[in-house]
Amino acid sequence: MQLLNLAIAMMLDFAAPILLASLGGVISESSGVVNIALEGIMRFSAFFGVWGSAVAKNQWVGLLWGIGIGIVVGAFHAYITVKWAGDQIVSGVAINVVSLGIITYFLELIFKTTGYSPSVPYFGSAANRISLTFLSKIPVLGAFSRLTIFVWLSLLLTGGLHFLLYHTVLGLRIRSVGENPTAAETLGVNVFKIKWFAVIMGSVFAAIGGAALSLGTMASFNNTGVAGGKGFIALAAMIFGKWTPFGAMLAAFLFASAQVLQFILQATARGIASQIPSGFYSALPYFLTIGALVGVVGKAVGPAADGIPYKKES
Amino acid sequence: MEALGVRNIVKQFPNVLANDKVTLSIEKGEIFALVGENGAGKSTLMKIVYGLYTPNSGEIYVFGKKEDIKTPQDSIKLKIGMVHQEFMLIPRFTVTQNIVLGDEPHKGFVFDYLRAISEVREISDKFGLKIDPTEKVENLPVGIQQRVEILKILRRGAEILIFDEPTAVLTPEETSELFKTLNALKQDGKTIIFISHKLNEVMEIADRIGVMRRGELQGIVNKSETNERELARMMVGRDVVLELPKANVKAGDEVFSVSNLNVKNTKGILGLKGVSFSVHAREIVGIAGVEGNGQAELVNAILGFLKPTSGKISINGKEIKLITPYNMRTRGMSYIPEDRKRRGLVLPFRARENIIMGQHTLYPFSNRGILNDKEIDAFATKKLQEFDVRPPDIYSKAESFSGGNQQKIILAKEMSLKHNFLLASQPTRGLDIGATEFVYKMLVEEKKKGIGILLISLELSEIMGLSDRILVLYNGEIVGEVTPEETTEEELGLMMLGLKRKERVQ
Ligand SMILES: Nc1ncnc2c1ncn2[C@@H]1O[C@H](COP(=O)(O)OP(=O)(O)O)[C@@H](O)[C@H]1O
Ligand SMILES: [Mg+2]
Repeated sequence: MQLLNLAIAMMLDFAAPILLASLGGVISESSGVVNIALEGIMRFSAFFGVWGSAVAKNQWVGLLWGIGIGIVVGAFHAYITVKWAGDQIVSGVAINVVSLGIITYFLELIFKTTGYSPSVPYFGSAANRISLTFLSKIPVLGAFSRLTIFVWLSLLLTGGLHFLLYHTVLGLRIRSVGENPTAAETLGVNVFKIKWFAVIMGSVFAAIGGAALSLGTMASFNNTGVAGGKGFIALAAMIFGKWTPFGAMLAAFLFASAQVLQFILQATARGIASQIPSGFYSALPYFLTIGALVGVVGKAVGPAADGIPYKKES
Repeated sequence: MEALGVRNIVKQFPNVLANDKVTLSIEKGEIFALVGENGAGKSTLMKIVYGLYTPNSGEIYVFGKKEDIKTPQDSIKLKIGMVHQEFMLIPRFTVTQNIVLGDEPHKGFVFDYLRAISEVREISDKFGLKIDPTEKVENLPVGIQQRVEILKILRRGAEILIFDEPTAVLTPEETSELFKTLNALKQDGKTIIFISHKLNEVMEIADRIGVMRRGELQGIVNKSETNERELARMMVGRDVVLELPKANVKAGDEVFSVSNLNVKNTKGILGLKGVSFSVHAREIVGIAGVEGNGQAELVNAILGFLKPTSGKISINGKEIKLITPYNMRTRGMSYIPEDRKRRGLVLPFRARENIIMGQHTLYPFSNRGILNDKEIDAFATKKLQEFDVRPPDIYSKAESFSGGNQQKIILAKEMSLKHNFLLASQPTRGLDIGATEFVYKMLVEEKKKGIGILLISLELSEIMGLSDRILVLYNGEIVGEVTPEETTEEELGLMMLGLKRKERVQ
């Protein structure tokens, strides 16, 4: 029983960053702006999170720094793609590429290290976890007894985003802009404002996901492991989840489960199975991603005007 | 009382002067029609009034007050509403969501969907425009979608309603339904601006008619003091001849035939049942019929998009075993498609690229896979001139041309392909009279040159005026074969409805 709880908790830990970034993708693409920069944003915020936490000796400050850089990068993406109606893929790729170089440089500049940052205060330490001891003995629910704030955030924000998109005026407008911006415009909706908002909000979600990578169960920034493709898996989860928050959640859970499975398989491998290179196990979740996408992507339809730059006629 | 006044409106687009000092005064409570050929500047003028375009100069008065309209928000506040030529609907939203968007009933920031639904019900009852508020728009027929558009602007309190070519997408029944609505709105004291290029409609519905040509207002006439012929002359700038003298030339050898063709459509239903006919050189064979009686199946079978369950298709007496667009075209077929935007053109490509499509792999346009820009440009320039495409700019994207000019680009492309059989599927669909006349002339020219033409059309006058022989398609079968001389539109109408059959003339 204990093992089951442990596995679920581990799955939620793995899922949280993917889910958060995926929600970011959902909100951005609902407004019609593709954001393939999720990966880069996560990386930026993971690094800035560690930096902030190191400077202030406080993980909350770290989280705020992460969100701050998320807003900056999101504003850049919006500036290029909304203000100038630039190519969304190009802008996204640029952010991803820049995130690789600049952070390697910063790592050396600020922490005088290569590869890893020193350890900083983080949300995963025993004291900082959210402790619900009364749950710990109950099957399944016990998994929720000692989680980090990021897991709770990812779950709450899933519900919150669902509410925003489907039950508020703003949500209706965001979706209208992603479906048919010209129609929205003729009804007096300010298309540009909405897109700016959605892109930045989306980046903030992805930034929280990024912070989860370096301030969640880890206490440092790992230059090769972060974001390690999680931003792209988040994109896949968004598509797999048909651009809906709860869909993205299920998809993130599925991928995270595959990762847990990988751990269990690797740890329990006996005889011939233990001869299989570990790379094979690590690749399992990614294979699953591809498989799931191939299986579903034909049927998944995103917002009608997703990825199409909007220019006001004059 | 003047509801809307525009004074000296000028709008210059990069390569056309779309509105040239247009001045209009529209009275409260009237139906004012604005007519003009495609590209005359009607939509541009109304988009300026609605705040979608900014004019270079000119003034707008609404109910006597000079107004500065910069965005649709401004015009909505001034009680101006517009039903656009291309519907501004979100297919995946419900009727209610579409109607209330931009002015949603809410509690705090929460969207009050239930109240929205009841508001929509209310407004729909008030104006007698029936709709189902919770249905998704994508599931609605076009006529009802238009109703949603009308409700949308009525809910915003519109007093001046602009309809940009509202009938272009409607069936005749839907059109008469719309006219009832327009008259009811007029009774209600609303001011209506009705844009069209269909003169018979304008003569039916309007009180006064303004005619535009190439950006200029040609004049305003009272309906009671004018007729279609005069309007056509004002629109085109000369007399229009839609009744062409029949080129009575002797038909030649068979160039195209189908025999015993059975075709299932995409729904798996037999849409074409045992159809046989042939087309000869120097002959126009017209296919008459109400839309949806097998025309689409016939065209798609000829193109190879639908595989016949049985039957033969031959060109120049030779059966085509493997029917693909490529095989049909290389054997001598050209095709004017019924849907310009989807089948006729690659919209984001320039005119020059569209015009050589189909021969882009051939010398001199390409050599070992490399396109020859100089040859292409020279050819495209020549063709745009020859077909009088406006503006004659080979670098403009296909999507930026008006419907009539897009059709001319397609004609230029198709006519320059080597062919002796022409499949013309609704070649004048959505065109204004000037462009229609152009197409008619071209078809007759083609015929004189010795080409065999299969003309599929929903317009009886077109079929009667151009065809040498007429086949009537009803429910997937040919129920009659007649010549225009021996039949009348009434008789064709009866056959099209399946109420009469006529033996073949041999
Ligand atoms: N957004 C635009 N940019 C450039 N040219 C345009 C634009 N909209 C319309 N035009 C051009 O202006 C002219 C008038 O077009 P339009 O007002 O749509 O005519 P109509 O509605 O009478 O058919 C056409 O030549 C058209 O190609
Ligand atoms: Mg127009």
